[in-house]
Amino acid sequence: MSETAYPAPPQTPFATSVRKSLFSSPLDCLVTVVCAVLLCLLLYHLVDWAFLSSIWTEEDEPLCKEASGACWSVIDARHRIIFFGLFPFEEHWRSTVACIVMIATIVASCVPWFWSGLKLSVLWITGFAIFYLLMHGGLFGLSVITPERWGGLALTIFIFAAVSLIGMPLSIVLALGRRSRLPVIARLVGLFIDFFRSLPLLTILFTAAVITPFLLPGWLQGDKLYRVIVGFAIFFAAYQAENIRAGLQAIPAGQDEAGKTLGLNYMQRVTRIQLPQAFRNSLPAIVNQFVITFKETSIVTIVGFFEILASGSAAFGTGKWTHHYIEVYVFIGLIYFIFVFSLSRYGAYLEKKLRVGHG
Amino acid sequence: MKKQILPTLAASAIAAVSLFASTGHAANGDTLKAVQDRGSLLCSGHNGSFPPFVQVTDDNKWSGYDIDYCRALSVAVFGSDESLKIVPISWAQRFPSLQSGDIDVVIKATGWTMGRDTELGIQFSVPYFVGATNVMMPKELGSTAPETLDGGSLCANAGTSTERLAANFFKSRGIEIEMITFEKSEETREAYFAGRCDSLVGWGPNLAVTRQSAENPDDHAMMDVALALEPESAAMRQGDDNWVDIVNWMFAATWIAESHGINSSNVDEHKANPADSTVEKLLGVTPGIGERLGLSDDWAYNVIKQVGNSAEIFDRNIGAGSVYGLDRGLNALWSDGGVIVPMILD
Repeated sequence: MSETAYPAPPQTPFATSVRKSLFSSPLDCLVTVVCAVLLCLLLYHLVDWAFLSSIWTEEDEPLCKEASGACWSVIDARHRIIFFGLFPFEEHWRSTVACIVMIATIVASCVPWFWSGLKLSVLWITGFAIFYLLMHGGLFGLSVITPERWGGLALTIFIFAAVSLIGMPLSIVLALGRRSRLPVIARLVGLFIDFFRSLPLLTILFTAAVITPFLLPGWLQGDKLYRVIVGFAIFFAAYQAENIRAGLQAIPAGQDEAGKTLGLNYMQRVTRIQLPQAFRNSLPAIVNQFVITFKETSIVTIVGFFEILASGSAAFGTGKWTHHYIEVYVFIGLIYFIFVFSLSRYGAYLEKKLRVGHG
Repeated sequence: MKKQILPTLAASAIAAVSLFASTGHAANGDTLKAVQDRGSLLCSGHNGSFPPFVQVTDDNKWSGYDIDYCRALSVAVFGSDESLKIVPISWAQRFPSLQSGDIDVVIKATGWTMGRDTELGIQFSVPYFVGATNVMMPKELGSTAPETLDGGSLCANAGTSTERLAANFFKSRGIEIEMITFEKSEETREAYFAGRCDSLVGWGPNLAVTRQSAENPDDHAMMDVALALEPESAAMRQGDDNWVDIVNWMFAATWIAESHGINSSNVDEHKANPADSTVEKLLGVTPGIGERLGLSDDWAYNVIKQVGNSAEIFDRNIGAGSVYGLDRGLNALWSDGGVIVPMILD
């Protein structure tokens, strides 16, 4: 594309644009004022509930019954359950460090410097090894903690990271496979993708957790956690493959043919021409799938995992705190928000970055 | 929606399981051997908490009435609850998980129904708890007789069996009551406390938890007649009679101990000076109680010493010793006016 310099559109001063769009007629004025008042009122009540009239510490819990605001005492008293689930109390530092390592791994793999097959593999293998060592223990004098005691935020992040890690390469293979020129492969992969896309995630997880033990021999079963992650990853890959395929379809066929004429082999054409452009084309959809997956990790609670939402329900599920479920849900909502919002901001950053030199 | 999907899923899982019936069916003695070989007992927990049966303490440990019986079973088999592993499972998952061997026993407020007993290939223990559907009302009404509510109103969860139970109960007694129903149990609860209805119907232990969350729990009382009773039993795989015997006698041991006044603090004195031949057998002074089940002779002694008798277990988790303060009511031994009848130890 050529670099034609267009004159910048005329800028309207802020005050003028506000007056024009919000106060241009008496009716507009009325609507604006009423909405603004309602919004302020809502905001005031929210701030009042969350901050002004709220109770903050566990010791002040007796005051909660009179207070009109939130009772954050429940978070003060039970946040360890929300973050760590059933992980043994004395070993919480392990879960904390494991969590930080996993988040650091995810963040690092978002940095462009790491974007090569080798660096990424080293990064993820190290990240997972450290995470597993800390959570499971059994080496260097760490006591063994089996996965049925893992829980809370660490489990949510682990499931998300593992599903992404298994699912992403699988989705690329599936996307390329579906476009294969060998009809057998294309049909089979198509069937595979459509089969898993037409099943609800709940069914897949339930099958992985409960029914596979009847079908597989004992040595192939593994822990329930890993079966569920594999099932989840296949589901993720089936969707992500279609996103990537959409990106691949958008590349004109001529490019691939030009690559062939230049003597590039299949691998070179895929890694140098097709995939980079496919990712750029379908980035919003790909990030979207990650966001959905992060939120869907909460479904694993149905097959009996203590991820953060189940931990939350355990946090308020005891005599003293049953009344304060709203505070716990708000708190968990905030944690989800932090993760998902960062994820979508990162997507926006990537889009901007990849557009460089794209015209 | 969820409520419909999950039972369907569970049912299809069971159907899939029945295709491989040989694995879902245990042979006599299998479970005990598997548990001993594995070195741990896998008992049901919950994906979250279900107070006061299954909940999590401030220091991330399982506790609760059902958890205590899981502990007792672990102590009976291994002599300690260190070997107990609580596996978190959801309601829908409990029977498929049992069939697939993910857990050895379900002790999780599970009602004994004919469908479960026959079609799901599950065997139940003797009931260890009866859950009464009851009505909570403010004490200021003056009396806790059903007639007090004549002309009043009742808060209930819409479309539940409790709602129908309550409607029938009051109708059959000629008591006029207005039913006010809500979709979510939180709403129902809030409505009662906000004074939108005079009373609230629910499952006994849940009501106790609700009462605990009241501004002043002592302002509320239970109606003196229960609407219905559900026997709660432990569930096991069909076909392993030995395992069923162990679970049954584990419950019985806590009851027999209570009926003889033996608890965790005085069990050693009773062992030193047994009052009669039953106590001698129970505490393993004379042999018999262990060998017949494939356990050691002091298993019941260990259970009472480490977990306690049935009164202690109830008190600690549900009764006066807990935040819920629920009356033992029907869950007392028959000699105290309850429905629990210990089997005979001979």
